[in-house]
Amino acid sequence: MSEPLLDFKAVRIELGGREIISPIDFSVAAGEFVCIIGPSGCGKTTLLRAAAGFVQASGGQVLRAGQAVTGPSREVAFVFQDYGRALLGWRSVAGNIALALEAAGIAKAERAARIARVLETVGLSEHADKFPAQLSGGMQQRVQIARCLAQQPQVMLMDEPFGALDAMTRESLQDEVSRLVRQTGLTVLFVTHDLEEAIYLSDRVIALRTNPSADKPSLAAMVNVPIARPRDQLLTKEDPEFVRLRRELYGYLGHHA
Amino acid sequence: MSASARLLRSLRPWVFPVLLLALLEWAARTLTPGSDAVAPPSQALAAFIRALGSTSEDGLLRASLFTLGSAGAGLLIGGGLGLGLGILLGLSRRAASMGFLSIEVLRPIPSVALIPLAMLVFGFGFRMEISVVAFACFWPLLILAQAAARQVEPGLLEVARALELSPWARIRKIVLPAMVPRLFVALRLGVSIALVVAVTVEIAANPHGMGYALMIAQQSLAPDLMLAWLGWIGLVGYAINLAALRLQQALAWRMGQRQAGASS
Repeated sequence: MSEPLLDFKAVRIELGGREIISPIDFSVAAGEFVCIIGPSGCGKTTLLRAAAGFVQASGGQVLRAGQAVTGPSREVAFVFQDYGRALLGWRSVAGNIALALEAAGIAKAERAARIARVLETVGLSEHADKFPAQLSGGMQQRVQIARCLAQQPQVMLMDEPFGALDAMTRESLQDEVSRLVRQTGLTVLFVTHDLEEAIYLSDRVIALRTNPSADKPSLAAMVNVPIARPRDQLLTKEDPEFVRLRRELYGYLGHHA
Repeated sequence: MSASARLLRSLRPWVFPVLLLALLEWAARTLTPGSDAVAPPSQALAAFIRALGSTSEDGLLRASLFTLGSAGAGLLIGGGLGLGLGILLGLSRRAASMGFLSIEVLRPIPSVALIPLAMLVFGFGFRMEISVVAFACFWPLLILAQAAARQVEPGLLEVARALELSPWARIRKIVLPAMVPRLFVALRLGVSIALVVAVTVEIAANPHGMGYALMIAQQSLAPDLMLAWLGWIGLVGYAINLAALRLQQALAWRMGQRQAGASS
């Protein structure tokens, strides 16, 4: 088996003197879609931020492609939950995506083509000249995802990206992310507190618990999701395997809900 | 609304100034004729036109250019430095704690108290006036820029980190544009401070510009000319404040496209 793209080795994270994450081991292979799930305050976002290099592990090591993560990198795209705070309000949709290309030092001549390509991927071609505030929440989050795709990252980290959206928009964005991940072969680590979303999207679900202790470590469960793709909002969620996984994971999380 | 009603409404702001001028005209002519302190506005207007035609150093155009030039240069230098340092202090807690004491000790010094020092260093003329105006404009721009930089959305700074933007690109592409609306408040404040301080320096010490011309008119017992200068300085102040406001509105309108959907 090839080297994992992300490798958490006995990673322990302490913030303000409190242990948020007790030593945890897991890895994400290239092309894999892994969801981290858990109740509020279990440290799932913190774990994701450690993978991004925003937070340093207090113990253990986070490796990306075999190298220790010491800080943020353009190889890693981060989709923030709050799209309103992650987009530049004074730049158009195309301008927001251009930011990632400017940061990477892409020549101006090449930018337009790449912007057009990612806009097409997320279905925003007609809105290139609009400003973020003129778009709905779902469309703004698509802009952020498009900017991350434009980075052509090794891995995309998504922090509850659909948490602030209404149910309908959430489902259509779930399908869209599934589709474009399949198209691009992108590796994704995805944080959510929505159990169904986690199972629906991922190849593997990692469940975390709050207040880890010696006999109850942060890692509550890790289960594979052997459900074929493409998946379907109605059919997949009625699949006996989906229902079984949902029940199994609910047991792990239910005590803390 | 009928056209005549609209006309009446547009005249409304003029009622009070016109009444005041008429009252002044009447009072100066009947109560204090030949006074050394008060002149009727009609004579001030005549003096204004004479000053307008004068090409001497204290003629209207040259004196106004001197004052506006030094106010502008002082604002540019002092405001620019204040802006730069303010951004630095707003972004870096370490820099802010290092600069805190020095700033709090220097800031309360009234800018006009610097006139004697500036005179010793630069002598009379442009440079001493510019230096005092720059000092006066430096502090409010520093404080406001620091506050504005501190209030830049932390999420945007994280995006900048995630994209590995260089410190300079971070300031140019994220921090400065995010600060623009607040910076315009600072600019308008700076503009009015610069004019006030420039005129003050001229009245107190520097033998150039509008403030000095006003003093000369007073000392040569020419109340009409003095009133003319007073009115002119007021008009200039009004005009540049209006210009700054218009600039702000034009920019706010351009950036307002992002507000367009915010209410829905």
